[in-house]
Amino acid sequence: MKMKCSLGIDVGSVSTKLVLINEENDVIEKLYLNTAGKPIDVIVKGLKILNDEFNSSIEILAVGTTGSGRQLASVLVGADIVKNEITTHAVASLEEYPDTQTILEIGGQDSKIILIRNKIVADFAMNTVCAAGTGSFLDRQAQRLGIPIEEFGKMALTSTVPTRIAGRCAVFAESDMIHKQQMGYKIEDVIYGLCQALVRNYLSNVAKGKEIRPPVLFQGGVATNLGIKKAFEEELGMSITVPQHYNVMGAIGAAILARRYIMQSKSKKTNFYGFNVALKDYKVKSFECKGCANCCEIIQIYRDDKIMARWGDKCGKWSSSIAV
Amino acid sequence: MGGKVILFVICIVFNNMEIVGNKTVMRCINKIMKIGIPRALFYYYYFPLWEKFFKELEQEVILSNPTNKVTIKMGVEAAVDDACLPVKVFHGHVMDLAEKVDAIFIPRIVSIEPGRYICPKFLGLPEMIKFNLNDLPPIIDIKLDLYNKKASILEHFFKIGKFLNKSRAEVLKAYFVAIKNFAFYKNYIRLYRKIPTEVFNNEILNYDDNNFKTITNQSKPCFKVLLLGHPYNLYDDYISMNLIKKLKLYNVKIITYEMLSEKKIFQGAKKLSKEMFWTLGRNILGSAFYFLDNEKVDGIISVASFGCGPDSLVGELLERRVEKEYKLPFLYLNLDEHSGEAGFNTRLEAFFDILEGRLTSESNFSSLR
Repeated sequence: MKMKCSLGIDVGSVSTKLVLINEENDVIEKLYLNTAGKPIDVIVKGLKILNDEFNSSIEILAVGTTGSGRQLASVLVGADIVKNEITTHAVASLEEYPDTQTILEIGGQDSKIILIRNKIVADFAMNTVCAAGTGSFLDRQAQRLGIPIEEFGKMALTSTVPTRIAGRCAVFAESDMIHKQQMGYKIEDVIYGLCQALVRNYLSNVAKGKEIRPPVLFQGGVATNLGIKKAFEEELGMSITVPQHYNVMGAIGAAILARRYIMQSKSKKTNFYGFNVALKDYKVKSFECKGCANCCEIIQIYRDDKIMARWGDKCGKWSSSIAV
Repeated sequence: MGGKVILFVICIVFNNMEIVGNKTVMRCINKIMKIGIPRALFYYYYFPLWEKFFKELEQEVILSNPTNKVTIKMGVEAAVDDACLPVKVFHGHVMDLAEKVDAIFIPRIVSIEPGRYICPKFLGLPEMIKFNLNDLPPIIDIKLDLYNKKASILEHFFKIGKFLNKSRAEVLKAYFVAIKNFAFYKNYIRLYRKIPTEVFNNEILNYDDNNFKTITNQSKPCFKVLLLGHPYNLYDDYISMNLIKKLKLYNVKIITYEMLSEKKIFQGAKKLSKEMFWTLGRNILGSAFYFLDNEKVDGIISVASFGCGPDSLVGELLERRVEKEYKLPFLYLNLDEHSGEAGFNTRLEAFFDILEGRLTSESNFSSLR
């Protein structure tokens, strides 16, 4: 008998995550791919990988999409639910750690804090105008210093006298780091100093005024960075947990929610188009609507030359003209 | 004739309008004028009043187009960098009107009630416009300052009338019609809990008792959300990224400060430890506390524009108080011209997930309140 699985897809700014979970919510397979500015190609690639590996042995019960590219992913695969990343992160965390009270999440360009009280989300905040301290910035610094990003956190742990880095702004943090390097500070001290600065920045800008109660989970791509984790623990004065699947929590949450949705009634069937969609030809075309002074840029998604979806308009003239 | 027009324009440029009362100068514009009202800032408070007043004086009122990409682009380019988004947008609206009208109405609003002021950017608005924009028609920048108890709002309207070359009797008549109409409008909004722009757009501005009866209650809303912020942010669909429409999609019953009488706002504002200096900020806080104390509210959405001085304080006061006393879901949305709609929608969706989560888990619901 085929194993019944749910598929969760999280299309983020930097990485795209695909997750298969079984009926006990155990992760069967997870893929972590670079979005590289081509979300469609990446989703298709992810589906191909899953198809090659599992096609004959599993049955897809439900599909959920999340992340900033959730609409796009939904159109491509035929999702049952499309959910924002805050809810999906919370759902996945609560599934694994039901007592969680606080979730710290730092991704490629977003960072957020989610407060959970009595097992439901009570409050959240996201970074607003500034992306200092998110994954992209850390990537860039690692690149600049010629250190593989995987080693970045470990190196920070060897620091004995962390340097004080101004972390309020990514641009100034970088110039401050360069300055400190030129003054002769040890590289690991500069790196851990940066970790501390980013944590300070996160706590004062994103988590501003919110009560952080243990147990605290730390997830998102940056959670792999041991330096940041240590800096958080020092600053908060409590131990924090990084879940096993820290970098695909959003996708897990989407898969869980999709299955819950399908299970609500027996008559509900998944919208999933099947893995074969990966073999089809996708195209995106855009044009500027001349209907009014807003000049919205309309995006059209084609599958084998058939329009699947349109969006980008403010008035709804184009997006509502076809059923998605 | 031509010389008089030039003289007239010179008078406007070099003097405040208040002394342009010379009848020989004024006679040349004694015709139906096209008066432009920018669809921004105080439009969202006073449009019904202004429109009626000008119409009663037999002038034509022309509104700028609703905010769009071009308005924002023009406004942002023309305005000073540190202005908030709504002020920048205002510049765009004035530019939109410039070639369509004979005069643009930009009153210098200093204070609209005794003892309290409006944000300083409103005081300097006519100057900001004059110095940032070129080739504008005459600007009606009559001052409205009711800070002093003895100040009269009527005087403000007389001066506008003088600009239009209308007699005091004509102005008085128009004023009373307009003010009565405005009172009716305000009552209408309070009674039926309408969003001001819904009333503007339906153009039922000539309210009569029949309109009161035609409103029927439609499907029952799920959530009652207190929407706080300046009307010029909330109801400008472009600035607020269609917030009102999106809330309606969630089947939300929206409550705003316009739906309360001054008396109730005053009652709510008494909860503040100190008198609030700004009228608009006080309206927001006063109405928030009144609603939260007297009605069942499911959640609060607070909207502010990036760089708004008063709001940075008002928002903070509000958020702390809500956290301490009311324990309600609170969503803070900050808007500027760089805001991305994706992040905005994500926040909104997550906020409604919270509301639904509280609804479905009754036990948690009660413990949170």
